[in-house]
Amino acid sequence: MASRALAHCMRSVARASARLNHGNMLTRSACAPLASNQRALSAVSRGQRTRWIDLVRISGPSVHLCRRYGDLPPLTLENIQDRVMYVLKLYDKISPDKLQTSSHFMKDLGLDSLDQVEIIMAMEDEFGFEIPDAEAEKLMTPEEIVKYIADKKDVYE
Amino acid sequence: MAVSRLPAAALSLKQFLQRQKVLGLYRDLLRNIRKIPQESDRRYLRDWAREEFKRNKSETDQDVVRMMVTQAQNHLEDLRKSLALAGC
Repeated sequence: MASRALAHCMRSVARASARLNHGNMLTRSACAPLASNQRALSAVSRGQRTRWIDLVRISGPSVHLCRRYGDLPPLTLENIQDRVMYVLKLYDKISPDKLQTSSHFMKDLGLDSLDQVEIIMAMEDEFGFEIPDAEAEKLMTPEEIVKYIADKKDVYE
Repeated sequence: MAVSRLPAAALSLKQFLQRQKVLGLYRDLLRNIRKIPQESDRRYLRDWAREEFKRNKSETDQDVVRMMVTQAQNHLEDLRKSLALAGC
């Protein structure tokens, strides 16, 4: 039953591509991965496939298939530092004028360990990866946070 | 060798472990609060958790601290169970 459904899909794909008048390259390359899935098909559908590949001989300019991937901009040390400082400035218990990369959370900024936990959670949200407890409690200045993130994300300068 | 080099304000081992436990609980609570779907609920619970922990920050009686830690663990379990039931 699955093979029948697959053959039906392929037929509709061929029909659609014939309608849209794609280049020869496209149908060939589209058929190639489909062809590998067809090994399980019965002989009947295989016969059908060869029939419509002949039908779909299309003239016209060939279209190059181009793969695209979505991703965030690459991290640099400066980028990480900007983002860390931005998140810290947004934190309500820190006054932005007293903040520097070397300011210690507890000694210079007067925060306590609960605030430090909150700050590290905010960093986790910003950079999208989890920081385990044992390493999180050692990060006491923005500089250390930047160094840790750069270490984890393999950012070299 | 017999002289202790630790400053007077250093915590004993038990206190240190308890402090670590409290911080771990706070972190787990915040992580679970993150999973809540509604932003207003999230903010409310975050403020509630912050208030609770900060209010009792200066407690020194070990029994009271232990009782509060147990309470926090129960709250965390309730939150986790509700989240599991709600399918988040």
